Amino acid sequence: MSWAQAALLARGLSRGWGGLCGAALRGAPFSQVAALALRGLHRSAAACSSDLSLVPSPPESQRRPVKVLEPHEELFKQAPGGERDKASFVRAVQCFGQQDVRRRGHVDFIYLALRKMREFGVQRDLAVYNLLLDVFPKEVFRPRNVFQRMFVHYPRQQECGVAVLEQMEQHGVMPDTQTEFLLTQIFGRRSYPMLKLVRMKLWLTRFKNVNPFPVPLHLPPDPVDLAKLGLRHMEPDLSARVTVYQMSLPSDPASPEEPAQPHIVGTPVSSAGIQSPDQQAALARHNPARPIFVEGPFSLWLRDKCVYYHILRADLLPPEERDVEEVPEEWSLFYPMQLDLEYARSAWDDSEFDINEVEEGPIFAMCIAGAHDQATLAKWIQGLQETNPALARIPVVFRLAGSAGELLTSSGMEEPPPPRPEAQEEEEVPQRQQQGQG
Amino acid sequence: MSGCGLILRTAAAARVCRALVAFTESRRPLRTSPRSATFAKELFLGKIEKKGVFPFPEVSQDELNEINQLVGPVEKFFMEEVDSRRIDQEGKIPDETLENLKKLGLFGIQVPEEYGGLGLSNTMYARLGEIISQDGSITVTLAAHQAIGLKGIILAGSEEQKARYLPKLASGEHIAAFCLTEPASGSDAASIRARAVLSEDKKHYILNGSKVWITNGGLASIFTVFAKTEIADPDGSVKDKITAFIVERDFGGITNGKPEDKLGIRGSNTCEVHFENTKVPVENVLGDVGGGFKVAMNILNSGRFSMGSTVAGMLKRLIEMTAEYACTRKQFNKNLSEFGLIQEKFALMAQKAYVMESMSYLTAGMLDQPGFPDCSIEAAMVKVFSSEAAWQCISEALQILGGSGYMKDYPYERMLRDSRILLIFEGTNEILRMYIALTGLQHAGRTLTARIKELKRGNMNTVMETIGRRLRDSLGRTVDLGLTGNLGVVHPSLADSARKLEENVYYFGRTVETLLLRFGKTIVEEQLLLKRVANILINLYGMTAVLSRASRAIRLGLRNHDHEVLLANTFCMEAHLQNLLSLSQLDKHAPENLDEQIKKVAQQILEKRAYICAHPLDRAS
Repeated sequence: MSWAQAALLARGLSRGWGGLCGAALRGAPFSQVAALALRGLHRSAAACSSDLSLVPSPPESQRRPVKVLEPHEELFKQAPGGERDKASFVRAVQCFGQQDVRRRGHVDFIYLALRKMREFGVQRDLAVYNLLLDVFPKEVFRPRNVFQRMFVHYPRQQECGVAVLEQMEQHGVMPDTQTEFLLTQIFGRRSYPMLKLVRMKLWLTRFKNVNPFPVPLHLPPDPVDLAKLGLRHMEPDLSARVTVYQMSLPSDPASPEEPAQPHIVGTPVSSAGIQSPDQQAALARHNPARPIFVEGPFSLWLRDKCVYYHILRADLLPPEERDVEEVPEEWSLFYPMQLDLEYARSAWDDSEFDINEVEEGPIFAMCIAGAHDQATLAKWIQGLQETNPALARIPVVFRLAGSAGELLTSSGMEEPPPPRPEAQEEEEVPQRQQQGQG
Repeated sequence: MSGCGLILRTAAAARVCRALVAFTESRRPLRTSPRSATFAKELFLGKIEKKGVFPFPEVSQDELNEINQLVGPVEKFFMEEVDSRRIDQEGKIPDETLENLKKLGLFGIQVPEEYGGLGLSNTMYARLGEIISQDGSITVTLAAHQAIGLKGIILAGSEEQKARYLPKLASGEHIAAFCLTEPASGSDAASIRARAVLSEDKKHYILNGSKVWITNGGLASIFTVFAKTEIADPDGSVKDKITAFIVERDFGGITNGKPEDKLGIRGSNTCEVHFENTKVPVENVLGDVGGGFKVAMNILNSGRFSMGSTVAGMLKRLIEMTAEYACTRKQFNKNLSEFGLIQEKFALMAQKAYVMESMSYLTAGMLDQPGFPDCSIEAAMVKVFSSEAAWQCISEALQILGGSGYMKDYPYERMLRDSRILLIFEGTNEILRMYIALTGLQHAGRTLTARIKELKRGNMNTVMETIGRRLRDSLGRTVDLGLTGNLGVVHPSLADSARKLEENVYYFGRTVETLLLRFGKTIVEEQLLLKRVANILINLYGMTAVLSRASRAIRLGLRNHDHEVLLANTFCMEAHLQNLLSLSQLDKHAPENLDEQIKKVAQQILEKRAYICAHPLDRAS
């Protein structure tokens, strides 16, 4: 019943939505669209920055020179010892509730709290959002007659409620029945926050599992674990084995440029590689006369973290050099493996052709290393040689790009290259090549 | 008249024909001579090769007496002395039982008489199989010994090898085992790792390797072993090829693992066999050096037909036992036998038993005809049909019996366990379906090459002819392949079924032609299509067998032939409908054909290696 009402309301209100939206966003709607599109591609740090949310940034911060405390800021400061966690956040919100029975300034407080959520690490916590909504006084903003219902009743408060929901949406927090209950208590059924909630309930569930390659919510902090995760994420073959070739060494601040390990150059370096049995077999079959290439770094976004990987690949064999897979004469003891007929599949039954299927050269292995210089990657190749003896005879060419993220073989990706990570070494020369590594 | 062709066959049981037997048996080398196209292959061309199939093969009165004399004591022995339950529990056939089996001559059923065996024909071997099937473990032990273990010596052995090994094998003094399977090689001959290397003095092969799941591996003294040897090609290159060896346990270096603990046929001995630097004299090469692949294929192809009669014998006893139960057990003041759902199960068991019996003896009869006909497709069809029917019927029998079927106090659960292996060994049913379909398609493809080439080139005459025929077919033509009518070979009371068979055969031929035109040699990759082709063919063969047998029964006035007619007609009706469905699925863009969806489901699951649906209780929020 309530949903049907809400749906009707949604249709009715959609006309008025534009005006509110414009008011709330304080920016051109187009920029919002572009930003959303970007967020669709990578759920990354950019998406979480506060300038995209409906939360108005404090005017003071733009002026900068004088640091003035916002109202209620002291509530979030009073945590002793600077401990910033859920408990202190909840305490701050509760303090506000106890300060004043009329909840004076609650809209400002909620905006401030929304901005502070990331700091306290509670931006994905549904209970905290419900607690924030609970700050609104109940029953006050509910429209009581048809005229109130016709126009936006208490627009500033409704806007604030929408902002809370908007931030929930950005962090992928699904509202629950308590959220709905609170909103009906605060704004009533026919209100913009409720409309937002209905839409969230409809769409968030549909988008929650839309990614066929889900990334865990909490990424491992250890770079080696992260690298393993990234490699597994890219490799479709479940038989593939991840090998850690080198654990990161604690950097020694006293002698950053140790002569024994010059390639580490002060940064802790680790590298993990992945190779499936099929790739191993393909590498063993590779003609040693043709060089193979180490290419990279290419970027891979895992939520808000970016890792860079390298691949070991070869060029596609020209058609005349490909050896045709022969069916041995005496293979199956039980049934003929091939028919001795002169004719093959008719053209109209040949569904093999696929416009999306572009032939590429084989990829033999992938690795994620802490540093992207040639010396580190050479170590990876050395490690690979233990399981792939054939690699010793094949010349390896290093094609390391200065700027990450562009495929060297093709015309390049549509996206502009992401900013270079700080870990990457400046000394890398673009297109540096070296023959006969290993 | 029907027996005239059979008089000439290798009627070894007749003592007077000893010389003739020796002559024909010794002349049975690897079957490489050109043979007449057999029944199953002609079906692929939409034709029914009546010769050899109609009338149903018969044995002479002498032979019948002979076999009945033999069957009597064997049956008595199995009824009185074989304790299947004990064999199953102890996981071993008692020594005295084995001794008695040897005394009965059951270790040399098909070994020619001159080498001390019984020298029975295939038909009589099938008849004995019916009785031996009382105990699964003994059946498998005997089959591993003579259907594959020593078969190589009979099929490909030289005179010296036969004279040396067969007498002791036939008497059961030595038991044989067939060593082909390896940890890495099931049906893939290329991955055989066992290796035989010629010694310096060129008198011995040094054999090394391991074989797994060898039936009789722990009992056997003589092994037929397949191993890779290096063969110098005429052009100078050296190739690895498979060679078959006769290996005696006394050659040394042979060890075996402990007997495997199995689901069923627990009394049979299955274990690993390891060969370590076993010295095999060059005289013990079976067949040609490098010709082991053909030897293995011939042994495997020749052993399959007997499963039909074996399973039929078991089903017949099962029907007796369950019928006894169904007619005495009362529920709601009614016997179980009065309930329709129970009656249905008996009809099913009887029908399956009848069909597989007919197929099996038809195939045996064809094999016994002179000229060494190649009946490997037919034998494979018998194996596939009978193994699947066995599993289905025993499962239904357990349904009839309810709870007692599940208890170890009764023999039914053991039968269920024992029968499961039938679908797996001697070539899994999946692989045999590929064999059935591909061998037939190869034959049809060769015959139709000229036509298909002209069609592909766009020869107007051929194209118009084909289109005309299609038009005529689609307007509903009556197919007459000469089974019915005045000169027909099928009795009029089966005429309806015969016409159904003719129609199926005709349209099957058309479909095969279309498939070849569409896929050519790449049809090897279309396994789901091949499965349907094989299923249709098995049904067609079954229909032919029952029509032939029931016609004969009516004409001779055998007892209860009206019951046979009933069974034959019900089977033909069902098979006809199944075939129509399969044929329509073989059409291009058939809505009944779900292959693409099936493949997609499997791919998505196998990519993740798990069941990927969300749990029904999962929520999005």
